[in-house]
Amino acid sequence: MSDVDVSSRHNVTVIGRTDGPTVLLAHGYGCDQNLWRLVAPVLAKTFRVVLFDHVGAGGSDLSAWSADRYATLDAYAEDVLEICAELGLRDVVLVGHSVSAMIAVLAVNREPALFAKLVLLTPSPCYLDDGDYRGGFSRADIDELLESLDSNYLGWSATMAPVIMGNPDRPELGAELTNSFCRTDPAIAQVFARATFLSDNRADLPKVGVPTLVIQTAQDAIASQEVGRFVHAQIAGSELVTLDAIGHCPQLSAPEVTAEAISAFAGAR
Amino acid sequence: MSGVFAVTTRTVPTGTVLAFAGELDSGTAPAAHGAMTKLSLNAGDQLVVDLAGLEFCDSSGITVLVSAHNLARGAGAGFALAAVSRQLGRTLDILGLTGLFATYPTADDASAAWSPAGSREDGVV
Amino acid sequence: MIRAAGETENAADDDDPGGVAPTFSALLEDSAEDLYEHAPCGYLSTLMDGTIAKINTTLLGWLGFERAELIGRRRFSDLLTVGGRIYYETHIGPMLALQGEAGGLALELRTAAGTQLPVLVTSTVKRGSDGDAQLIRITIFDARDRLAYERELLRARRQADEERDRVRKLASTLQQTLLPPVLMTVPGLQTAAHYHPASVDEVGGDFYDLFPLTGGTWGFFLGDVSGKGAEAAVVTSLIRYTLRAAAVFEPEPISVLNNLNTVLHERFLAGDARFCTVIYGSLVPVPDGCEITLASGGHPPAVVVRADGTARFLHTPRGMLVGGVPNASFTAVTTRLGPGDTLLLYSDGLTEARTTGSSDRYSEEDLLAFLATANATGAAEVIRVLTDLLRGFGDGVEDDTALLALSVPGSDS
Repeated sequence: MSDVDVSSRHNVTVIGRTDGPTVLLAHGYGCDQNLWRLVAPVLAKTFRVVLFDHVGAGGSDLSAWSADRYATLDAYAEDVLEICAELGLRDVVLVGHSVSAMIAVLAVNREPALFAKLVLLTPSPCYLDDGDYRGGFSRADIDELLESLDSNYLGWSATMAPVIMGNPDRPELGAELTNSFCRTDPAIAQVFARATFLSDNRADLPKVGVPTLVIQTAQDAIASQEVGRFVHAQIAGSELVTLDAIGHCPQLSAPEVTAEAISAFAGAR
Repeated sequence: MSGVFAVTTRTVPTGTVLAFAGELDSGTAPAAHGAMTKLSLNAGDQLVVDLAGLEFCDSSGITVLVSAHNLARGAGAGFALAAVSRQLGRTLDILGLTGLFATYPTADDASAAWSPAGSREDGVV
Repeated sequence: MIRAAGETENAADDDDPGGVAPTFSALLEDSAEDLYEHAPCGYLSTLMDGTIAKINTTLLGWLGFERAELIGRRRFSDLLTVGGRIYYETHIGPMLALQGEAGGLALELRTAAGTQLPVLVTSTVKRGSDGDAQLIRITIFDARDRLAYERELLRARRQADEERDRVRKLASTLQQTLLPPVLMTVPGLQTAAHYHPASVDEVGGDFYDLFPLTGGTWGFFLGDVSGKGAEAAVVTSLIRYTLRAAAVFEPEPISVLNNLNTVLHERFLAGDARFCTVIYGSLVPVPDGCEITLASGGHPPAVVVRADGTARFLHTPRGMLVGGVPNASFTAVTTRLGPGDTLLLYSDGLTEARTTGSSDRYSEEDLLAFLATANATGAAEVIRVLTDLLRGFGDGVEDDTALLALSVPGSDS
C-alpha cells in the first residue's frame, strides 16, 4: 500500500479555513463524500474541512480495493489513519456517519493522540439483535439486503460495463457517471454491506478516550434512538444530541441543524 | 480464429499451378481442399503448389499438401512444391516428407524442370 | 366531438367494419385522473421525509391496503422489505436528495397479506417554483416477470457453468482412456511419463503407451494426432489399439508402423484426412540393460541421455508421417541402454513452446542442450526437470505435451 498516493486513493478534498481546527468527515455505507455536500460549506466557515471517499466508493481508486482487505472495518480505520498521516493532520475532530462512526471509533482507539474530538452521527455499534440488545435487525434481514443488492446487479452492469471498458464513442456514459452520486459496484457494495451490518463493535465503545458527541435523529430506521442511547451510555463523558430530523442521513434531511451541532461541539474549547 | 487465406488456380503448359496465400490452418484448409476437388489433372501433367504467399501452415495445412500429392499421384500426374519457406522446410523434414515432395524456388522453376517421361518428381517408388 | 366521431366512423368503415369507433371515442374521453388511478403502473407521492401523501388505485390493488391505512400514516420505506429499507435509507434516499432522481431500482414491496412483490422503482423530486423540494414522485412497475426473467438468466448461467464443467470432465475422462492410467513397470528398468493438456475443454491429440509382449520383450510408443477434440480422440483410440494389435502380430517396429499406416490411410482416403506422427519402439532385455529399436513416423527424434551426462538424438531419417500416403517409408534405429542411460520420447508441444518473454520457440536443439546441462539421471529425474521446464513456459505451451522416459538404473544404485 505504501507506494500508493493516499490522497488520490481516497479522492481527498480539503476546503475551508487553513487556520481553523481540522474536521475530518467520513461518509457511511451506500454513498460517498457527496453526502456532506450541504454540511461541508457551513463547517468550512470555521474549520479546515477534509473530505474523502472510502476505497471502493465515489472517486476512490478502485484498483486499491480488494475483497480480502476490506472484509472488516479495521481496514477502513487504517485508511483514516493513513489519510491523517499523509496530510499531517493533528488534533483532528473526526466525524463519522453511520458505519463510519464505528470506523472512527476504531481509528481513535488505535491512535488517540491524533484526535481532539469524536462525533458519531447516527451510529450503531451492532445492527443485529443480540439478547437484550436491540440492534434492530435479524440475520435474515441482512441476508435480504444482500439479496436486494444482487438483484440490482444486472442493471448496474448494463450501464457500467461500457464505462468501465472505456467506450470512446459514447462519451455521454462518462457524463452520466459523474452526475450519478453514490454509485457503487455491487460486488464492492456486497463486501462493504457485510462488513457494516455484520460487525459488532460494542466492546470498542468503552475504550474511547476523547471527548465524544453522539448525534441521532428522532426517527431513524437504521439506527434507533435506543441504539443511540446505548452508544452514549457506553462512552464515558459523551454527549447525546437528538435532532428533530427524520431518517438516517440528517446531513441531507436537516443540514443546518446537523452542521450547527457539529460546529458547536467541534469549536468549543 | 483463422486469418486471411486465398487460393488461385492457374493453368500452364505443363499442367496446373495451385497458389496458396495467407494462413493455411484448420479454418482455411477446407477452402484449399475445395479448390483441389475442382482440378482436372491428366496423366503426365504436373501439379505445382506455389507457396510463395503462404504465411502460416499448421498440421491441417500439411494434410492439404499431402492430399494434393495424393491427388496428383492418383491421376498419374507429377507433383512439386514451389517457394517452401525455411520454417515449413524444417517441418517437412521432421515429418519425413522432404523425400516425397520435389521442391523448387519458384513455380516457373518447377514447370521448367518438368518432363513427363522418366520424371524424378516422386521420391517414393 | 360529433364531427370527430363521424370521421372516425368513416375511417373504420374503410378499414375495419367491426366496432372500433366506440372504443376510440371512449379513449378520447379518458381523463388524466382516471389515467393516474388506473394506469398500468403504481404511482405514489411522498413528502420529503417519505410520508405517503398520494397513491393510485393500481398500487393499492397490488398491495391490498386501504387508502386510509397509508395516507399520512406510513412512509414509503415502510412498504419495503427490511433489506430494501436499508438500501433505501442508505443509498436511494441520499441519491434522491443529491441529484433529485433515482431510477431503475429493483426492490420488493410487502403486501398487506405479507407476500412480497418484486418491483422496479423510479423516483423524482418535484420542486416548487422557488426551487425547494416539495414531493417525491415514485413510479412503480410490477417486476414479477422481470424477476422470473432474471432468475431464468441466472439459471441459464448456472446451467452453462455446469455444462462447461461437464464438458471438461468428459474431456478429462476421455483423455484418461487414451493414456495408461499407471505406467507399467518393466523389470530392471525405471519408467516415467508426463502429460500436459493444453486445454481443459478439449481432448488432446498426444498419446503414449508401454506394454509387455512375449519373451520378456516390450513395446512402447509416443505420438501426436493432427488436430484435437472428439474426432482426433477417435483416431487416437484407433491408433492405440492398432499399434498394440500390430505389435502382437509382428513386433518389428517398421512392420508395426506399416500396419498402422495402412489402417490410417484407409481413413484418410475415406475422408477423415488426419495423420499422426509417432515413434514406436521395441525393448529387449540384455545383461546390464536393454536393446531398443525405434521406428519413427515423422516424429521429432528421441533423445538418449547417457550415464556420463551427454545427450544426443537418435535420428531416424526420412521416417514419414503415418496415414498420409499409401506406402510411407519408415526407418529404424537400434541402440543399447546401459546402466545410467535414459531414453526420452516427447511431442512437439515441448519443442514448439514459446519461451517466456519472447516470440521465439523452444527447439529440439534447445532441448538437447538443456538435457546435456540439466544433470538429470534416470527416467523419473528427467521427467521431473522437464515438467519444471514446462511449468516455467506457462502459457507458452500452446499444444498438448507428452513425455515418456525409460532408463536403466545406474550401476551404483
